[in-house]
Amino acid sequence: MTSSKKAEAVSSKVSFASLTQNNLGTVRKLNSVLFPIKYSEKFYSEILLPEVEDFCKLIYYNDIPVGTICCRIETKDSVNHLYLLTMGILAPYRSLGIGSYSMDVILQAATTHTKPKIGRIYLHVQVSNDGAKRFYERHGFRASGIDEGYYKKITPSGAWVLERNIEPLEGENNN
Amino acid sequence: MTPTPTKRALPSKESSLFRELLNLYETRQLKKGQKTADQILKKFPEHGETLCMKGLILTHMGKREEGLELVKKGVRLDLTSHIVWHVFGLIQKGEKNYEEALKSYIQALRFDKGVIARSPCAPSIWCERLDDDLLVCQITDAMSLNQENMNILRDAAHLQTQLRLYDGLVDTRFLLLKLRPNLRQNWIGLALAYHLNGNLVEARRVLEQYERSLKNVPEYDPEQSDLLLYHVRILEDMEEFTTALTLLDTKAKSRAIVDRVAQDSGAEAEQAWRTLIHCNPDNTGYYYSFFRSKNIELGAVTDPDRMSTLRLLQDLSLQNPHTNTPKRLELMVVSAEGFRPLANDYLWSGLQKGIPSLFVDMKSLYQDTRKRVIVEELVDGYRQSLEKNCLPDGAPNEIVAESDSDVPTTYLWTLYFLAQHFSHIGQHSRALSLLSSAITHTPTLPELHTLRGRILKRVGDFLGASVAVNEARLLDGQDRFLNTKSAKYKLRAGLIEEANDTFGLFTKKDAVSPGADLEEMQSLLYLTEEGDAHRRQGRLHYALKKYHAVRKIFEEFEDDQFDFHGYSLRKFTINIYLNLLSWEDRLWSHPAYIHCAISASQIYVELFDNPSRRKDVLSTGKELVFDNLDKTISRLSGMSAEEEKKAKKRAKKAQQKQEEQKKAAAAASAASAATTSTTNEDKGLDLTPQKDDDPDGIKLLTSPEPLDRAWKLLSPLLRLSISNLDLWFSVFDVAVRRGKYLQAIRALTRAKVLDANHPDLHVRLLHFRKLYESLPSSLPSPVAVVVSDALETLITREMTLETYNAQYLQQNHLNARAILGAAWGLQILGSPRDEIEGVVFGTLNPQVVLPLKTALDVLSFLKDISSPRANEFRLACEKIFDLSTVFKTPDQLAIMHLQRQGTLLNTPNVDD
Repeated sequence: MTSSKKAEAVSSKVSFASLTQNNLGTVRKLNSVLFPIKYSEKFYSEILLPEVEDFCKLIYYNDIPVGTICCRIETKDSVNHLYLLTMGILAPYRSLGIGSYSMDVILQAATTHTKPKIGRIYLHVQVSNDGAKRFYERHGFRASGIDEGYYKKITPSGAWVLERNIEPLEGENNN
Repeated sequence: MTPTPTKRALPSKESSLFRELLNLYETRQLKKGQKTADQILKKFPEHGETLCMKGLILTHMGKREEGLELVKKGVRLDLTSHIVWHVFGLIQKGEKNYEEALKSYIQALRFDKGVIARSPCAPSIWCERLDDDLLVCQITDAMSLNQENMNILRDAAHLQTQLRLYDGLVDTRFLLLKLRPNLRQNWIGLALAYHLNGNLVEARRVLEQYERSLKNVPEYDPEQSDLLLYHVRILEDMEEFTTALTLLDTKAKSRAIVDRVAQDSGAEAEQAWRTLIHCNPDNTGYYYSFFRSKNIELGAVTDPDRMSTLRLLQDLSLQNPHTNTPKRLELMVVSAEGFRPLANDYLWSGLQKGIPSLFVDMKSLYQDTRKRVIVEELVDGYRQSLEKNCLPDGAPNEIVAESDSDVPTTYLWTLYFLAQHFSHIGQHSRALSLLSSAITHTPTLPELHTLRGRILKRVGDFLGASVAVNEARLLDGQDRFLNTKSAKYKLRAGLIEEANDTFGLFTKKDAVSPGADLEEMQSLLYLTEEGDAHRRQGRLHYALKKYHAVRKIFEEFEDDQFDFHGYSLRKFTINIYLNLLSWEDRLWSHPAYIHCAISASQIYVELFDNPSRRKDVLSTGKELVFDNLDKTISRLSGMSAEEEKKAKKRAKKAQQKQEEQKKAAAAASAASAATTSTTNEDKGLDLTPQKDDDPDGIKLLTSPEPLDRAWKLLSPLLRLSISNLDLWFSVFDVAVRRGKYLQAIRALTRAKVLDANHPDLHVRLLHFRKLYESLPSSLPSPVAVVVSDALETLITREMTLETYNAQYLQQNHLNARAILGAAWGLQILGSPRDEIEGVVFGTLNPQVVLPLKTALDVLSFLKDISSPRANEFRLACEKIFDLSTVFKTPDQLAIMHLQRQGTLLNTPNVDD
């Protein structure tokens, strides 16, 4: 199967849902099995904020929640950065193109987002996690450095910082 | 004219005032009406009709007691006035006292100055048909009847319908039609009355006469359409199918009509059913009827018909490609030999599409064990292939070609199916292990957690079940189904407070409590489950309270039909109205009502046998309230001071809220009382619900006549032929204690027809014969003969009760319930306790199949007879039912619960 055909097949089976107080339980459940970290209540209240609705999603495959993607917006030097907090797909559903498709959807949303405009997207990947690093590089991310001691309770504690600039859509770049 | 009694006659000035008063009342100018009445009463304080009118007006203004007082006084002062009786009837109707209201109406009509008072046999119109002659002479007078008399007649008809007095109803409707033949609804009213009274021939004649009189009916008139459908229905009930079809063909075009009438066989019917299948190919009933028109019964196809039936189903499937229904019917019709390929297609496509209800759909095929085995082989085969990450060999080809990306979800639904399958056939451990693979695979599918809860419930681990279902609920807080299920499982586990908190997420926020809102919303599920939960924990007063709340709901259902007796005639919604009436006739046989009536009766019987139980419940009851599982858990979890404070605060807040609402209600009623004296506000005649003066059910618990209360709950069920053994046992238990031996023996006879060998019947037969033999022969002779004859046929007198009991045990020595029955028999016969215990412990014999519920009953029997070996039995059961938690002590349970919750919180605590 060619990759474009595969993408097409995936997109017809994948759907997204915005996060609400009511489906937060599913996010918690996914996080508890996807990541070796227990997230704080602050994390769960931040991903419900209206401004990040386009960047925080539950990912459904054949109508079953199989993954999640969560971001927050940070403003540094009057530039808005999208920080990818978590992204994960349940093990049995990997290598089906769901993650790539979801990443594309988020990047697309970042490109078209206006209030506020997003200039850059970045994230941390544990240095031992080569697969994840390769995944992000395929999506245009570049490693900008290593954050030593980023993880406090898991080893290795170091993390790659991966980043990618967001190119605004042509024609809208009029300032 | 009848001479007017002197004390009723008013001078002309007052007389016109009285007419004005009637007008003011009709137009609901209450305040003015009251003043006018007072004006008359100033001069004639003894004028009955005016007193009644004033009373009626006061009642409308919300002063029921004062009003009723005046009305009664008015009636006493003028017993022959139709007005006073009419007013009295209205008030009684408002109190839903339909029998008395009808009597008052009859009195009103007797004294009416119109036709009826003059006819020599007037009252008899209520019980027998009038001569035509008599009516002819009355009809001339009828013109003089005023609107009010028509109203009385119509109201009377409604009351007669409500009370199901159909003979009288026919007469009333007949009279109404004679008086006002120009009103269409009077014709329909009479036809309906004949119909309800079982006289289809007359009903049809009335309809035909009415239809002949119609002129210029507009096309597509919905009222006319429903009337014609009604006409067809009568013809159908009379089995005049040809006439019915002709009427349909000529009059109606609507397809909906076809499905009732295509009952006679033949090519036309077959075509009609084909059309209907095409309209809605998912309606299984249409397929059954289609085949019935070919003399084939789909549920019981015989070998000679099998091939042709399958072929027809395949044709129907090809003609309606978007439905699964004919394919599913093929699975039922096909013999086990040809089942595999069809089932393979059906199952694989269902699993691939991810149809959650696939197992429920397949379950009924399991009656044929061979088919069940094939289903298991097929689906387990899918599982094995999918685990090797390839598609099963036998999977239909076109699906294989499509894509391999559905594999993970197909695998998941396969596991889900298998878990249901194995739990259904009793292999619960296997089901649970499949389920735990599924949950590891995809922990976000709520169905997996609810199923896990259901299986845990089946093995008797109610706490574990409630935790599992709660997991599902947490995945989707918006899902009302999951919310209700979760709360129900908490009630089953005895976590009443937690359950109420969960229910509270979906109930009105301004309600006194979630429970109050659910009661208001007539939630039978909540009331029965919480009643049962309280009962299990010994809080009998709360249980009774909930069961009686259920009864109240059914009384409301029964009252609710009243308005439709008038409305449906006015709106010509005849067919649906008839359906409503027959639904109401069977209303009380609703499973929720039967359950509550039986449970409450059992409690009342217990209270009667054991009056000290009341004190137990009340004295320890208070502690019990604070010693349920919730509290044990918080006690053992060492609830921190802060949490305890929080809980107290919450309780205080709830109390405050309750008080605030009470205050608000009081203020509102005071305000309305203040305003009614100055305004015209019409409060209507219906009795407003009274304040609950027994919120905790203490009065129910301490009622001096528990058996009468029980009987009142059971009696609506007696006239319905209900095949529920427990009902008849309850009827017996109550009747025999009230000394109603005829009712008691009848109940046992009913039970014997349902299951002659039932252990609970055995016990009661012993009980009754022993009691009957010990009676001083004081029964009146006809009753005594009937009872002893019936008893003779139920239980032989040829042997002693001891022998009878021993024989029963011998014949059923491998049946756990029967062993318990025999032990109970010994208890009734006064055998020593160690002998009884010896019999009871026979249930632990490895050859005896001991269901969980029976084990629980045995345990509670041992406790009832204060057996020192009860704990020994409990420990044995704990071993046998290793997955269950019902044989654990409350402390053990609470610790288990806490441990389980603890494991949920055991993930490392790291922030990002």
